[in-house]
Amino acid sequence: MRARLVPFLVLLAAFAAAPAGAQQGVTDAEILLGGSNSFSGPLAFTGEQMTKYGIDLYFKVVNDGGGIHGRRIRTVYYDDGYKPQEAVANTKKLVEQDRVFAIIAPQGSPPVVATLGYLEEQKVPMLFPYQSSPVTRGKKYVFQGMTVSDRSSVMMIDYLAGQRKYKRFAAIYQDDEYGKSFLTAFEKDLGRHGLKLVASESVKRGVTDVSAQIAKLQAAKPDVTFLVLVPGPAAQALKERQKIGWTTTLMVSTGPLTDERYLALAGEAAEGVEGLSLWPDPLTSELPGVKLYRQHMQKYFPKNEPNRYSIAGYFAGMLFAEGAKRAGRALTRDSLIAALEGIKGFESGILAPLTIGPDHETQKQGFWVRVEKGRFKTLTDWLKSE
Amino acid sequence: MSTAALVHVVVSGLATGSIYALMAISLVIVYNATRTLNFAQGEMLMVSTFVGWTAHQWLRLPLPLIMLVAVVAAALLGWLIERAVIRHSIAATHFDVLIITLGLSLVLRAAAVLAWTHDEFPFPSFFADRPIALGPVRVAPVSLGIIGGSLLLMLALYGLFRGTRLGRAMRAVAQNQRAARLMGISVERVYSASWILAAVVGGIAGVLIAPVIFLSSKMGLVAINGFTAAVLGGFGSMPGAVVGGMLLGVIENLAPLYLPSGIKHSVPFLLMIAILLVRPSGVLGRARRRKV
Amino acid sequence: MRRALWLAGGLALLLWPWAAPPYFVFLASLIVVNAIVAIGLNLLSGYTNQLSFGHAGFLAVGAYVAALLTIHAPALPVVAALLLAGLATALVGLALGIPCLRLEGLYLAMATLAFGFVVVEAILNLDWITRGNDGLRVPVARLGGLALASDTAKYYLVVAAGALLVWAAANIVRTRTGRALLAIRESEIAAQASGVHVAAYKTLAFVVSAFYTGVAGGLFAFIVGYLSPDAFDVFLSVDFVAMIVVGGLGSIPGSIVGAAVITVLYDTLAAFQNYRPLIFGVILIACMLFMPGGIASRVRFPVLKGDNA
Repeated sequence: MRARLVPFLVLLAAFAAAPAGAQQGVTDAEILLGGSNSFSGPLAFTGEQMTKYGIDLYFKVVNDGGGIHGRRIRTVYYDDGYKPQEAVANTKKLVEQDRVFAIIAPQGSPPVVATLGYLEEQKVPMLFPYQSSPVTRGKKYVFQGMTVSDRSSVMMIDYLAGQRKYKRFAAIYQDDEYGKSFLTAFEKDLGRHGLKLVASESVKRGVTDVSAQIAKLQAAKPDVTFLVLVPGPAAQALKERQKIGWTTTLMVSTGPLTDERYLALAGEAAEGVEGLSLWPDPLTSELPGVKLYRQHMQKYFPKNEPNRYSIAGYFAGMLFAEGAKRAGRALTRDSLIAALEGIKGFESGILAPLTIGPDHETQKQGFWVRVEKGRFKTLTDWLKSE
Repeated sequence: MSTAALVHVVVSGLATGSIYALMAISLVIVYNATRTLNFAQGEMLMVSTFVGWTAHQWLRLPLPLIMLVAVVAAALLGWLIERAVIRHSIAATHFDVLIITLGLSLVLRAAAVLAWTHDEFPFPSFFADRPIALGPVRVAPVSLGIIGGSLLLMLALYGLFRGTRLGRAMRAVAQNQRAARLMGISVERVYSASWILAAVVGGIAGVLIAPVIFLSSKMGLVAINGFTAAVLGGFGSMPGAVVGGMLLGVIENLAPLYLPSGIKHSVPFLLMIAILLVRPSGVLGRARRRKV
Repeated sequence: MRRALWLAGGLALLLWPWAAPPYFVFLASLIVVNAIVAIGLNLLSGYTNQLSFGHAGFLAVGAYVAALLTIHAPALPVVAALLLAGLATALVGLALGIPCLRLEGLYLAMATLAFGFVVVEAILNLDWITRGNDGLRVPVARLGGLALASDTAKYYLVVAAGALLVWAAANIVRTRTGRALLAIRESEIAAQASGVHVAAYKTLAFVVSAFYTGVAGGLFAFIVGYLSPDAFDVFLSVDFVAMIVVGGLGSIPGSIVGAAVITVLYDTLAAFQNYRPLIFGVILIACMLFMPGGIASRVRFPVLKGDNA
């Protein structure tokens, strides 16, 4: 018994002896970040692209350029398969065992919400969680990493009902937190215009057939049908619309959906679809930041095709690096928070100039696109959500 | 809801239902021979479809040849799994084999992710999406094609089970293994043939459904519906599997039309529980007496 | 010798939070919770041969009942909340168990699988009380004036409940009831012939199993602190089955070891990202090929008597 205890006591002593004042996860040579993400389960594609081909891509660039104030950035990721209990376990392990400086880009509402309280309690920053519900608002240690659904909704409804004067709106949405948070926001914003959703139909994750939902929506005769889905079912919905020859509605994709993958899946059925785009086209945009991103991807991961999830991760990496740079050599969690809050008019070359401020939201704008000949064509300048 | 729309929804349900039926048939073939629930059936389908797709990417093969590649890949995979893993666990309990097939499903899915990533891919189809008009009704050729293809395959299976030595041997083993062995049937050969046949049926189902639900490492999850279909029809019965699959496909599509949203997604499962409680042997199954 | 082992084991459990790094306190709690589910499932599957793929559903019922009780009746001591969670789940187990008496093997497995799906759908649709997709934050458990907020406090709660339930299970299987259950596993007809009331005992197994899993669900709610339907999918049910098969059917120490092995594996493999399911699957297959009957069939557990693997 005693023999087994000894190593633990030694370990305990080692913890106690750690130099006071030094910030956990920051040494002279290194900054350690960690994240619990989906490498299996329904969001595995996004998870892998964000982390390994996004955040880490940017950090490779930073590290090869000498790091931040002489420190290299290292990351650890654990798979939670989109399960909240595993996200809790992983996050505790990251904070208590790996002793990371901050959590970066966890994904999905349930895993993020499950770890929110713990991280606030431990005063560990949760940087740029990739989920669109507003639950992360007003937390000192959280910086939102995705356009919140209510902001997306404001942009979409104000543009469609305000500028384009559409009257009848319907939605097909995924039966989870992502779908529901958009639905709630749509109802609210339509209300401001004296309108409401004329029909809404839910779809389960991993659905095989959406013909019933589309038939019901068609019967409600909407001018605009929102697609609050993930790429697979969204492409199925578009193909289903083609199968029944329903041409009298404008299909509109939400920000998280507007991406090249779903275009590839839907093929010609996607022609004429419009949507709110949160990112410039990662494959064709001529913006300087996006061109640089493509060069970096080509250099470090030539086999991985550029996409919106990896560019979102790349952007998150860029924001962290900017915050850490501004915080200076004496990097602490609180100095990082202060530095991020102080970011004003930051030029990423990817998104519009960014000012973070006290609301801790890093993305508040999007622009309107329409699918023409299999690619997104930009229709508007940046739309505002404030 | 117009009648035309209703017809379309039902036909669409029959199309997915045929795929469920093929999955159910695969599961039943394996179950009848080795008394094993094969949790990896869906993943086997996914892998063979991916192999066909890869051949398409590399060699630009025409679709019938892709189907052939997928079927051969499925047969090889079925044979390999049976010989390398399942046969060694003949002595083990059903529970052990259950965990083995579960492990196989994890391994196959993870291997597919490593080979083909987490991404989803469009898959070429034999049939068009654009509707054709039959009188006032519009039907998608893809739905009719899936239904037709599945029915053809089912007919072929019927012929195999009724008309060939192998088919008769498989039915004999399904009824009573010991008696079959005493009659001089090589039970091992039947095991092997069953796994191969089930995989081939799955392989064809995969190529048929991939254009609709897209090709991805998670497409194997469609097998869960195969389980439900098999139970609805009475596990162990082939015609039951067909009826169960079609029934499930249609009900899944009709429920959202007529039921409040609160309950519509539970309908297949509530139906399964109800059938199990009222008629455990399924809609087509014969009540089995327990003997001492 | 046996007493010394018991003492050492008990002492190790008690001292664990003081000796181990904090994360491992949490992990140990998770292992104990899973072990309680595994024991409950084993009483059903290992002892009466009724396979269940729906125990994630029972876990969910227990978890939500305990969480909702604590939210709406903050004064309720945690012991009562756990007991009520167990009893509510046992009631659900009774409601499912009686009609399921007619079902065997595969059919029962499918009925319980469907039950698991229905529970998740019910949580989604009863969103006025469960908050559906938004998920439910679980308040800190209270014992009198004591708030069990730290991982260590939660650990002691979990270990106390676990010890009690293990002791109870060991007693159940050692008594007449345990022998009756085992007789049913071997042959229902022979058991019936020897005067065992098969239907009553099978239902009892269902109820007890659900009770165990319900209590575990309550503990799960308190240690994780947040509930959402995504936590209780069918794969979790399958994990529980894996625990008892790897550990050994019909063995209480086997259940505990199986729960520990699977939980630790999951935790360790999380770092392997894409390779996690691959490695996990290979280990499962290897376990069953080289150790049919599970760990309990190879290792003699000296601690618990009445072990009928």
